[in-house]
Amino acid sequence: MFIDIDCARQKKYSQNAYGDYFASKRAPGRVIAVLSDGLGSGIKANILSCMTATMLLKFIEAGADIRKACEIILNSLPVCKVRKISYSTFSAIDCAEDGTARIVEEGNPKFIWIRGGNILDFQPQTVASKTFADRQMRIYDIKLEIEDRLIFCSDGVTQAGLGSNGLKLGLRRDGVIGFILRLLYDDPFISSRDLSKSVVEFALSAESFRKAKDDISAVSIYFRSPRKALVFTGPPYHAEKDNEYANAFKNFDGKKAICGGTTANVVSRELNVPVRAKISVNSGALPSLMEMQGVDLVTEGVLTMTRAAQYLEDAESAISDDAAGQLVKFFLDSDCIDFMVGAKVNPSHYDPNLPVELEIRKNIVKKISKLLEEKHIKKVTLQYI
Amino acid sequence: MKKIDVKICLGTSCYVMGSSYLQELVDMIPLKFGDKVNIVGHNCLGECVSRGEHGKPPYVQIDGEIVESATIEKVLEHIEKKL
Repeated sequence: MFIDIDCARQKKYSQNAYGDYFASKRAPGRVIAVLSDGLGSGIKANILSCMTATMLLKFIEAGADIRKACEIILNSLPVCKVRKISYSTFSAIDCAEDGTARIVEEGNPKFIWIRGGNILDFQPQTVASKTFADRQMRIYDIKLEIEDRLIFCSDGVTQAGLGSNGLKLGLRRDGVIGFILRLLYDDPFISSRDLSKSVVEFALSAESFRKAKDDISAVSIYFRSPRKALVFTGPPYHAEKDNEYANAFKNFDGKKAICGGTTANVVSRELNVPVRAKISVNSGALPSLMEMQGVDLVTEGVLTMTRAAQYLEDAESAISDDAAGQLVKFFLDSDCIDFMVGAKVNPSHYDPNLPVELEIRKNIVKKISKLLEEKHIKKVTLQYI
Repeated sequence: MKKIDVKICLGTSCYVMGSSYLQELVDMIPLKFGDKVNIVGHNCLGECVSRGEHGKPPYVQIDGEIVESATIEKVLEHIEKKL
């Protein structure tokens, strides 16, 4: 099974740093993630939450006792000058691909567990801190089933709209649940990325003048069958194997993309399917998408992938609707992405008259796969052909 | 009368060497020649590989004939000759 996880965030109004921090890692057979909310807001909160999340992630990955880990973190966080305490709240998630999950919460709102459009109720085991008597951790050991969803929020979501006429106590957990259930009713297979974004957007719209009074973050986990994708880029090194690889591409069970004009020619020739390039007056921008029957996305190669890597690197910025934007969307809407990277080089790309920004295909694919794995928590495999 | 076929290569080398600007021909050609010319894009004409280091992208193919170092003026000129 595949664990689709994503986080959306919004800064507190007038602050220039996020006070909440989300860190996650895909280890073999499991996903570990931590959402932490630092004391206060801005840079101070950012440091507290960042330290908490990254330390906790390392502790959990190493299999440390969670209670001991939390004590160490609390003792090592810097003390707030105003409040004279070191503090940050967190939700830590350790979820295995067989569905067993351990969740530890401290201070954050209780998470939401949805199965088949219903909210599951569950009782945690409560553990008090040895050194900080008023701090209690809630520990849940749960078993997820396919199509289950978990949603974690910072208090900026549950308290959004606090004090306004319509929502005297903010959205509260019930308000957030109501919104998510309506959303899932309309779109039962919505991705974690879109769901977390929608929750943050909903919380922001509850605030007066859309000015967030606290940092708003939502993490969504969706336990589902993996959505597979295959990207064919670059012609195979041995031309006599073109047919074999073109057929492997054709028979792949999942979404397919081709990045590269020559690669498109190879597939078109071997499978006898025409490829059509479109002209669009967009001087200086990227070549537009091409069309080939049976292939979901066909783009130019190196230029488009270089731009796509830029989009993936800067995830907070808006993704444009050009070919690279479409390629990024293709990546983000998949869980397991296989790359078939043809090793044949086009010598004309090394012409010194060409711009130096023209990257080497292997390097750019490596960069994209690293970004997809580390930043967007996808499963990536590379095959050089 | 048979139409003249114009194919603009939109492969990587051609694109960075100027075919991105040649795309403006899609608006210019009908204004100048009406429907006598059929203009399409091509994912890669393969000229950059076959001509190797002696090649001069961007390439445009006009009725099967390759125009190298293509510019808007050069392409319009070639079409006029063919007509």
